[in-house]
Order: sequence, then structure tokens, then C-alpha cells
Amino acid sequence: VIAVGLHDAAAAVYLAASVLATLGLTVRAPALTRAAVVVLALGALVHGVAFLQFSDFQIPPPHTGLPGAVSLVAWMGTVFFLGYLALNRRSRLTTLIVLVAPAAFVGVFFASLARVSGAPVPSDGPAWAHAHVLLASAGIALLGVAGGAGLLFVVHHRALKAKRAGSVGIPLPPLEALDRVGAFAVATGFLLLTLSLVTGVLWVHEVDGMFWPGTLHANTTLVAWLIYAALVVGRFVSHRGARTCATSAVVGFAFLSVAVLGVGLLP
Amino acid sequence: VNLVLLGMNHRTAPLALRERFAVSEIAPVLTKLCDGEIIEEAVLVSTCNRVEVVVVTKQPAVARMRLRSFFERDLDRDGESPSRAALDDALYAYQDAEAAQHVFRVACAIDSMVVGEPQILGQVKDAYRAAVACGTCGSILTRLYERAFAAAKRVRNETRIAERPVSVARVAADLAREIFDDLREKTALLIGAGEMIELALEAMRGAGLGRIRIVNRTRARAAALAGHFDGSAHGFDELPALLEGTDIVLSCIGGNGPVVTREVVARALRARRRPLFVIDIAVPRNVEPSVDALDEVFLYDIDDLAGMAEANAEERGREKVHAEAIVVEEHRHFDGWLMALGAVPTIRDLREQAEGIRAGELDRHLARLALSEPQREGVEALTRALVNKLMHAPLATLRAQEDREQGLAVLEAARRLFGLDEQGSGTNRSASAASAPDAAPGSTPDAEPDAAPDAEPDPDVD
Repeated sequence: VIAVGLHDAAAAVYLAASVLATLGLTVRAPALTRAAVVVLALGALVHGVAFLQFSDFQIPPPHTGLPGAVSLVAWMGTVFFLGYLALNRRSRLTTLIVLVAPAAFVGVFFASLARVSGAPVPSDGPAWAHAHVLLASAGIALLGVAGGAGLLFVVHHRALKAKRAGSVGIPLPPLEALDRVGAFAVATGFLLLTLSLVTGVLWVHEVDGMFWPGTLHANTTLVAWLIYAALVVGRFVSHRGARTCATSAVVGFAFLSVAVLGVGLLP
Repeated sequence: VNLVLLGMNHRTAPLALRERFAVSEIAPVLTKLCDGEIIEEAVLVSTCNRVEVVVVTKQPAVARMRLRSFFERDLDRDGESPSRAALDDALYAYQDAEAAQHVFRVACAIDSMVVGEPQILGQVKDAYRAAVACGTCGSILTRLYERAFAAAKRVRNETRIAERPVSVARVAADLAREIFDDLREKTALLIGAGEMIELALEAMRGAGLGRIRIVNRTRARAAALAGHFDGSAHGFDELPALLEGTDIVLSCIGGNGPVVTREVVARALRARRRPLFVIDIAVPRNVEPSVDALDEVFLYDIDDLAGMAEANAEERGREKVHAEAIVVEEHRHFDGWLMALGAVPTIRDLREQAEGIRAGELDRHLARLALSEPQREGVEALTRALVNKLMHAPLATLRAQEDREQGLAVLEAARRLFGLDEQGSGTNRSASAASAPDAAPGSTPDAEPDAAPDAEPDPDVD
């Protein structure tokens, strides 16, 4: 009961952070945006405690099906964003919260509706399964942040190229900051996604004796992985333009979202 | 008391005239102005765009003449006064509400040459501090400027009047901050070494720009500018190589053909793999327009920047309406305070009259009654409470007036209703009150407004 209450409370705090962040952006009040970051951090704390309660302090925690995984992704994305902000204090990236906070709220709200502890997989399941869920959640969280940064990059790039009066003073992060966080998130997220694919394959092999299940979830995940592989090669080997990379990050995350939903909702 | 303001600004006087009246040492000038009985308080604001004096006086017509001669004799640094007509044309004068509102508008940068510019508030604060330091700023001007600063803060927080830049140089600097995260790590390449380049560079430096490289056809001029901005000077032949290590290009150099071609920029981009912000403020343009088609390049020419600056100025003009509304609101607070200050004599007369009646009647009746000491004290307290309760509503009404015209009407009505101006009545009763041995502490007239800078004319009856 405490865990469920804390989880619902985290959703409420994320919602408050979203409202503050949106207000800060629309009325151009940096103080509100900074307040939103503090509220988001509070939400992440409450959310983290809720996870500890759910797992009953077991390590590794029992993974809990789609709602739990979505909630975990929301938490990890939030923690990554806050950590990046804390480590790059000079970077003017704070307004990215306008995407992070609502995404965290939607993830937790979805999990709350479905009850985060619903349809639990036995905690004595295969170790690969635990590793797969944790690695995939972390990877998706980072790639989600990369997608959000990519979306803002494309919008801001377009406004600056259009050379309209409103281009100056848009309270969005500078292109360079968005590009930098996007590059870091894609590089780390792709690594985690790759590891989650490997552990997923090992899990399936241990349970069913096959290496590729051929489900929609597996196939869309593979497509998303290929998009990100192309993005990583384009970005770090061929040195493609920042706008192309940002667009790829958005498209890649769209595929990945379908893949995640495919875990429980699609065959 | 009255407020009188006399001054000249960029709209009424040309620079040649304004610079003759600019004051560098405010204290001696203000002290001299307040020497005498005409002017009680004074603040002088002297900036490159305006010279203004606002004073508190009981003789507005005389004070206006005094200020006129003050400008002519004390402020004119050349000693040769301009013609009387020229000075009269340059000077504007405001009194009371208009003067106060003008002070508010100046502090809020609504009256500035560039509406919303941030410097004026600091300059007005300096002028106010100088007046306080030399003892020419009393309670009324202190209150006026405190409210003006509060209004300026509200205008800055509640409107977007200062949000968007209105100069081409500032627009360019702000655009650079939209593209790059930290300008301190960035390198700018200047092509040309003219005045426009210098202005843009100053704005960029203000935004925190790091390294500067300058190329110019005349290397000596480039070296001079580089020395001024702590940069490095280069020859024109180095341009393609320099582009590879550059984040911002500022170009304004004469010539017919483009100096920076698409081919050169594309080659530089392949080597650098970072965005490039190109500002071309030359006419004819120095940078091939097709450069803008490159994904990583943000090319802005003079028309783009001027168009944005103009649109921002229009935006500020729209925001000015909101700022004016704040000025009116804040001025109403100040006017209400000034009104209450004007009500102090009436409040004092009214209370003295009531206390006189109370004390007189009490003495008359106590003489006929044989009361013990506790009983006398009880009756005394009873009468005082009755008077206080009866006077509470009229006194509160007098103090609460915020509208000047209505406040004056209420004051006039109160004086008539209570017969405060009847021959001898107020004086006799005041004398009676003053001589009453048991005059209540609460009936003591309030401190005069000049007693302390923040003294509120707020006599407390209860």
C-alpha cells in the first residue's frame, strides 16, 4: 500500500513539475523553470523510494511486466536528465525539462493506472530476464532523452533558419547543448540497448531454446536498433550533420516506443 | 507641498546642448540649489540623454523660476548661455502628478531613447543616492523614488519590454547565444575592421565571447583593432584556414564580389564539424547567400538582423502599454500617500477639537460631582473611548483617500462639517486641549511628515 501510494505521489509531483516547466516556458520565467527542476528531483526521489518498496529491497528487483518497466524507464530518464544537469552546470539545458517532466508523468501515470505491481514475473525467473529488463529500461530512458533533445533541436534549428523575429529569445536550450546531450545519450543508450538485445536473446534461448522469437516486439526492437546503429555510425564515424542526427534520434525513439509497447500489448 | 520637475532630454535638446548641461559632480550643485527656503528637497538626474531636476517646494511658481535660472546660471558649463528662446524650447516642466509620473516613466525606461533599456534604472538610483548622501532628499522624494524603483522592478518582471534586443549588434549577440552553449569557448573571425564590426564585436564580447581573430586588407588596421580587443591580426590569404577553427564569422568589408564562398565554407565545415554562425553586415554582401543552404551554417545578413531588431522594437512598443498601466497604478499609490500627507493638518485639527470638547465638558461636570478617584478615572476612560470611537470613521476616511480630487473634496467637507476653519474655534479648542492636564497619549498629533524619511501620516485613533 505504501509503495502504491508513493508511486501515485510521484506521478502527482511529476505533474506539478510539468505544469511549472510549461508555465516557465510560456511566460518566460526562468525562476519557474528552476523550481520545476527542484520539484522534478523531489518526484524522482519519491519514485525511487517507491521502487525500493516494490522490490521489497531485493537485489535484483523483481521485474514487473510492462507497467513496471515503463515506470522504470520514466524514473531512469528523469535521473539521467537531473544527473546530466548537475554535472554540466554551465550548460543552458534546463528548459529540456519541458519534455522530460511530462514524459515522466505520462510513464508513471500509465503505470499507476495499470498498477505497477500488476502481472509480476516470478522473482526466481532467469537472471537474463532481470538483466534484459534493467538494461532495456536504462537504454530506452537515455534514448528517450536523446529523442526529446533531438525534437527540440529540430524545432530550434528550423526557427533559426527561418530568421523570424521570434527566433531570438526563444527560451529553448542552445543548439549546441541539445546536440551535446543528444550525442551522449545516444552513445550510452545504444550501448545499453545492444546489451539488452543480447541478454534478451539469451533469455529467450534459455526459456525456449531458440535465439530469435520473431515476435513484433523483437522485430521492431531490431529495426530500432538498426536505426540507432546507423545513427551512431553516422554521428561518430561519418560525422553527419547535427540536424540529421537529431531527426534520426526522434525516428529511432518512435520505433523503440512501439517495440516497448509490443512487450505486452502486441503479439 | 508641490513637486516641480524641470529638465531636458534627447527629444527636446540636441546633444550639443545636452552636453553643456551635463553634471558630473552632483553634490555641490544640489546643495547650492537647496540653499534657501524655496526648495525643500531635490534630486538631479544627469545622463547622456537627459538632465532633470525634481524638487519639493511650497512655492511652485517661484521654484520653477529658480530652476530655470539654475539651469541657466549653475549648470551651463560653457558660461555662455544659449539664447533664452533656445533654452525655453529645450526645457520641459511638470508639476505635481505629472512630475511624479515623469519620474516613474524615466525609472521604468519608458521615456528612454531605446524603450526598455536597462541602464537608466541604475543611473536614476545613483542620482537618488547622491541626493540622499548630500542631504537634499527628504521624505517626499524618498517615497517618490522608492515607488519609482518598485514600478521599474514590476515593469521588468511583468512585461517583456526589455526582453528582446533592438540593436543589430545585440540581435547578433543574442543569436549567437541561441546557437552556442558557452561563448567563452568560442572563436570569432572578423573580416574587416570598420566601425560596424567594432560595435558588433563589443556586443559579442559583452555576451562573453572568447577568442578573436581579425583579417583585413590593411593589416595595420586589423592589428590596431586586435590590440584593442586582445585578439590576433591575420592576412587575407589566411581566411580559408582560419575558417576551420572559427565558430562565429563577422563580416563587413568593402568590395564587389563575395569574400566568403560556399565552397570555402563547405570545406571548412568538413574539417571542423561544428555549427558556424555567419553575420554578414556588409552591403554589398561579403558572403555568398547560398552558404545558408548548408545545414550547419546560420547566415544572417544586415536585412535579417535589422528586420528582427525592428520587429523587436515594435514588440517593445506594444509592451509599453502594459508598462504605462503599471506606472499609473504605482503613481496612484504614491499620490494616495501624498494625499494622506496633506490630510495630516485636518486630522490633527479634528482630534484637537474633539479632545478640547471632551476635556472641557469633563472638567465642567466633574466639578459638580463628588466622585472618588477610581470613579473619576472610570468616567475619564469612558469619555475618551466615546470620542475615539466617534472620531474613528471620519479619520479613517480622511486617511484612506487615494484619488487626489476626491481626497481634496473630502478634506474640504470635513473642515466644513466640523467647523475647523471657523474663526478661533480650532485655536481655542486646541489651546484647551494642550492645557488639559489629562490629555490622552493617543490624542497627541502625529509626527510631522519631515520627521523621518519613511514617516507615514497615519495617526492611530484606536
